[in-house]
Amino acid sequence: MAARHVLITGTSRGIGESLAEHYLAAGDHVVGCGRSPSSLSHENYTHCALDVTDAGAVDRLFRDLKKRFKTLDVLINNAGIASMNAVALTPVEVARRVMETNFIAAFNFTRESIRMMRRSPAARIVNISTVAVPLRLEGEAVYAASKSALETFTRIAAKEVAPFGITCNAVGPCPIRTKLTAGVPDKKIQTIIDAQAVRRWAVPADVVNVIDFFLRPESSMVTGQVVYLGGVG
Amino acid sequence: MTISDEQVLEVVLQAMRATNLARDEASQLVVSADAPIFGSDSSLDSLGLVGLLLDVEEGLQAAGCDVVLSDERAVSQKRSPFRNVQSLVAYISTLARE
Repeated sequence: MAARHVLITGTSRGIGESLAEHYLAAGDHVVGCGRSPSSLSHENYTHCALDVTDAGAVDRLFRDLKKRFKTLDVLINNAGIASMNAVALTPVEVARRVMETNFIAAFNFTRESIRMMRRSPAARIVNISTVAVPLRLEGEAVYAASKSALETFTRIAAKEVAPFGITCNAVGPCPIRTKLTAGVPDKKIQTIIDAQAVRRWAVPADVVNVIDFFLRPESSMVTGQVVYLGGVG
Repeated sequence: MTISDEQVLEVVLQAMRATNLARDEASQLVVSADAPIFGSDSSLDSLGLVGLLLDVEEGLQAAGCDVVLSDERAVSQKRSPFRNVQSLVAYISTLARE
């Protein structure tokens, strides 16, 4: 398979970093972005330090990508932030920031990517959701709502981009040991794991496996789907 | 970005010709400076409109004019800047001057 051009948001750490490493090892050209610098060093990796909610910075990124690459084959909207708090105690600015990062930024990257993906033979958009959506856990209302918006967006965008040969799917991981879950109390994590059919922490490779399935050229009929890890949903 | 109205018009008409290649005989778009694009006088649906506008963007980019044709009035029957060739050309020319 020819090397693909893969754009991943939120590659400074966690799942995004693992995804970047995986597709670099597969021989793809990877462009990553995030607020922090990346520790990844690879001849086929380009890191763009930006805030995914900064529309001007995203516009400049895509102008640069259009100059460098004729097509974009894969977009993985991975950048996300969490807010574990009761509704009554969550400041409105926090709710706004979570929506901006988890949903609006993914929308903007998708909108821009469609323009570059039309020439790709197997263009794929993958959004990262969470099992917090189907589990409807107390204390995660804002975070889960933002990912719920992303899931609905995934299902509808799938219909709109299908005429261009682009698929759009989402994967909803159960808890993985990352910075995002580090601040969640053990008891809360255990509640989630107890609700899973497969009662263990997931690892980044579990997410990679689902995304690899979405990215296969043979998966051109798989679109508008949300796959949760661990048997949730 | 400097592009003349005539150049914009030619890009739009070229994109309409390209769109027609993928459409059956009964639903061909009229390709002319005063033709409708989207709305009750046209057979183009909203997904077809997206494809056409992305082709127009590419044509403009090739002509050195880098604009994004997104507008909240896009699929409005009365107010869409994409309702006919004339309004689309005027809209692009305004964007190009900004």
